[in-house]
Amino acid sequence: MSESPENTGDHPGTNVYLIVAAFLTVLTAMEVTVFYVRALKPALPPVLLLLSGAKFALVVMFYMHLKFDSVAYSAIFLFQLFFAVVIIISLVMLFATFLGSA
Amino acid sequence: MKAAARIDEVVEDTNYLQGGLWSWVTTVDHKRIAVLYGLTALAFFLVGGIEALLIRVQLAQPNNTFLTAASYNALFTMHGTTMIFLVVMPLEIGFFTNFSLPLLIGARDVAFPRLNALSYWLFLFGALFLHVSFVFDGGPNAGWFAYANLTERYFSPGTNLDFWVVGLLILGVSTLLTGINFLVTIINMQAPGMTFMRMPMFVWTMLVTVVLILLAFPALTVALILLLMDRFYDTHFYVATVGASPLLWQHLFWLFGHPEVYIMALPAFGIVSEVVPVFSRKPLYGYPMMAYSTALIGFLSYGVWGHHMFAVGMGPAADSAFAVTSMLIAIPTGIKIFTWIATMWGGALRLTTAFLFSIGLIFEFTIGGLSGIMHAAVPIDLQQTDSYFVVAHLHYVLFGGSAFGIFSGLYYWWPKITGTLLDERLGKFHFWLTIIGFNGTFFPMHFLGAQGMPRRIYRYAPGMGWDTWNLVATISAFILGVSVAVLLANICISLWRRVPAGDDPWDARTLEWWTTSPPPAYNFARIPLVHARDPFWALKYGRPRPSRAADADLPGLEASSPEALHMPAPSIYPLLLAAGVLLAAVGATTRLEIVVIGGIVVLLSILGMGFEYSTFGEVAQPEATGAVPTALDNRKAGMWAFIGSETIFFASLLSTYLIYKGRNVAGPGAADILEVPLTSVSTFVLLMSSLLMVLALAATQRGDVRASRGWLLGTAGLGVIFLLGQVYEFTHFYHEGLALQTNLFGQTFYTLVGFHGAHVTVGVVWLLALATASLLGRLPQRRCLAVELCGLYWHFVDVVWIVIFTLVYLLQGVKGA
Repeated sequence: MSESPENTGDHPGTNVYLIVAAFLTVLTAMEVTVFYVRALKPALPPVLLLLSGAKFALVVMFYMHLKFDSVAYSAIFLFQLFFAVVIIISLVMLFATFLGSA
Repeated sequence: MKAAARIDEVVEDTNYLQGGLWSWVTTVDHKRIAVLYGLTALAFFLVGGIEALLIRVQLAQPNNTFLTAASYNALFTMHGTTMIFLVVMPLEIGFFTNFSLPLLIGARDVAFPRLNALSYWLFLFGALFLHVSFVFDGGPNAGWFAYANLTERYFSPGTNLDFWVVGLLILGVSTLLTGINFLVTIINMQAPGMTFMRMPMFVWTMLVTVVLILLAFPALTVALILLLMDRFYDTHFYVATVGASPLLWQHLFWLFGHPEVYIMALPAFGIVSEVVPVFSRKPLYGYPMMAYSTALIGFLSYGVWGHHMFAVGMGPAADSAFAVTSMLIAIPTGIKIFTWIATMWGGALRLTTAFLFSIGLIFEFTIGGLSGIMHAAVPIDLQQTDSYFVVAHLHYVLFGGSAFGIFSGLYYWWPKITGTLLDERLGKFHFWLTIIGFNGTFFPMHFLGAQGMPRRIYRYAPGMGWDTWNLVATISAFILGVSVAVLLANICISLWRRVPAGDDPWDARTLEWWTTSPPPAYNFARIPLVHARDPFWALKYGRPRPSRAADADLPGLEASSPEALHMPAPSIYPLLLAAGVLLAAVGATTRLEIVVIGGIVVLLSILGMGFEYSTFGEVAQPEATGAVPTALDNRKAGMWAFIGSETIFFASLLSTYLIYKGRNVAGPGAADILEVPLTSVSTFVLLMSSLLMVLALAATQRGDVRASRGWLLGTAGLGVIFLLGQVYEFTHFYHEGLALQTNLFGQTFYTLVGFHGAHVTVGVVWLLALATASLLGRLPQRRCLAVELCGLYWHFVDVVWIVIFTLVYLLQGVKGA
């Protein structure tokens, strides 16, 4: 096998990094806008979670290079991320039941 | 039998046990670190055992006055804490796994030898710190699971629990580092040809164990941090009167606590899975089923924590869900039991001591498993909770399921570790005394529990019907104590007589028996090439035909070319770093100035460690000391594993914030005080810092040192601006009337956002260190990995903020979100 090939260059160039930064800026602006638009209040949680998820994915895929590196790194991270999400959902649900749903 | 090729003939033999004190203090050799773990854990085994005997003396008869209630509370607390954190885990993971893992997979060391040494020193100092409280304040006394709100300062005003909390935090860090280290070792350091389905079963169980460590320990860390804040900073994370819930502790603790049961049991299962085939002279029956059942146990163990909490009234839906998952876990566990029995079936059994202890584990753990299924049934559990029935169950699982495996592994690997044999007659005497003492101590506790004797009572009245069984248990506990004395005598005699064991005294199957006993410092002069599941057996008795086309390219084990031996240099930095952590811990419980000194020692040690090797940050792996490089880089894999565990850490903190959101009984809430415009700017600043970070990496990769330095400083600068924004925000909120202790929102908000800020601060220091290295000409193109690792950490901090910004700031008015 080759010796640590991912360190020698399969990463995207500066242009891609700049495009991702532009997307991140636009998505953040959209999040803040959505927050202030009164008509969108009922749809706030799903819309914001979607936008936030998109930003999360962009950074992880392009800046942290999971899109370009070995799939093993993705497996290590995503496996634990899955359990992190399960923890949040489980605990919030358990306490909502126990303490009374807010 | 064909003569196996001796591998220590081609190079000078350097027994790893040779060397002076300094060489041990600075060692990074996995075998030496294993020995250090073994000796330390053995010492604490004696401490924990004496604590148990004192408990049993107190309970031997009704109304006994041998111990005071306070002493009794401290003894049962520290007995549990010691046996779990300072004995079973260190012996299974620190001792056995450290010693055998690289040998089993054909590597020369673990992925991160210095991190391995750091883990040991942190373990030692954390353990000592935990016990210092006996001197000052009578010892921690809230039980090993320290339920809130008994642990609040109001109910436990002494410093004893402070030592417990800080000591466990140190031990948790040590365990996490070990988990990351072994995970990378297992997935990235295997000898050529050793696929996952050819790994020894002990390695499989350790793979699942270390994954469980990464998933479970961050929850404990968060639980302890929140408790520490309650005790040190007067917050109320577990106090019901301010709207919080003591059950948060139970959930976070058992999120760690139940996987912890399998963290202790799975390595023992792995040992049994190695021992049973060797002494049955048969391959492990149903290897794939055994591997899959191990993985399934690990997966399910993360979803059963609620069965420890049936009595709190979680509601029928939650109770039912946890009951089902708890019953389900019996299936893969049962597969293991039947697989071991099937392996023995029809085999040429040799009843050595190691084998007897493995059989003992199967027998005793099955008893514990059966009472475990009873606990999975909610109505029955409600009757048994907090009774001696539970004490019986947990000892059949933890002593029966772990200690028997540890003894089995000790007799099995002792010849490899020391080069000498333990006496078999004494060993069998040890085994039978253990069986009699163990069952005599713990089986009567089933009856005591059924008769209604509660656990954790320091005395009981006569005429309750508990007298006889308690006396039987106490007498048997002393028999168990004698059995340990027999083991110690056996060890001393073995080391005194030094009867040579030979390289392969058991006619074993796996790679560790291919090298000398004890092994040389480098383990293998030639890295083995693996064709089969039991490679050493295949070598001795004829190799089967390669089962895959790719194997045809692999030469035989004996035909591999000798390679240059690269062993990592000794280092003092792991010890210094751990000493800095100890100083900080001492300061936390005494004087704040000492925390600062400890912090400086930690920082300098990290920098020293980071730049110690002249090859730091280079693409070639200086610490990959054996296995043929795979497509992964050890350090990147380690960083991703660390980031994964940090994800669980922040998930636990975020859960706390969301659970308590909108439950203030006084003071401002999120919607009253958070300012989105300011934070939007901060968010933009942090996002742009990530852009500069990748530009720094790109510049380093193309060799543009000046640009690299500029982008690094730019990233650090934006990080500082973000932090200044946070300082302004916190100050502003404080003046608006939101202090840390004001209400639930204040404490959860400041803790969550504050910990994120602390991570940003660490990132800024890291960036400045790299920029300084660049200024000194020590960050050329070939060291781009140093920048990439820092970048991964920085981007992770960024994505955590993306989540916080949405859930805390933008969804501020949405309750429960």
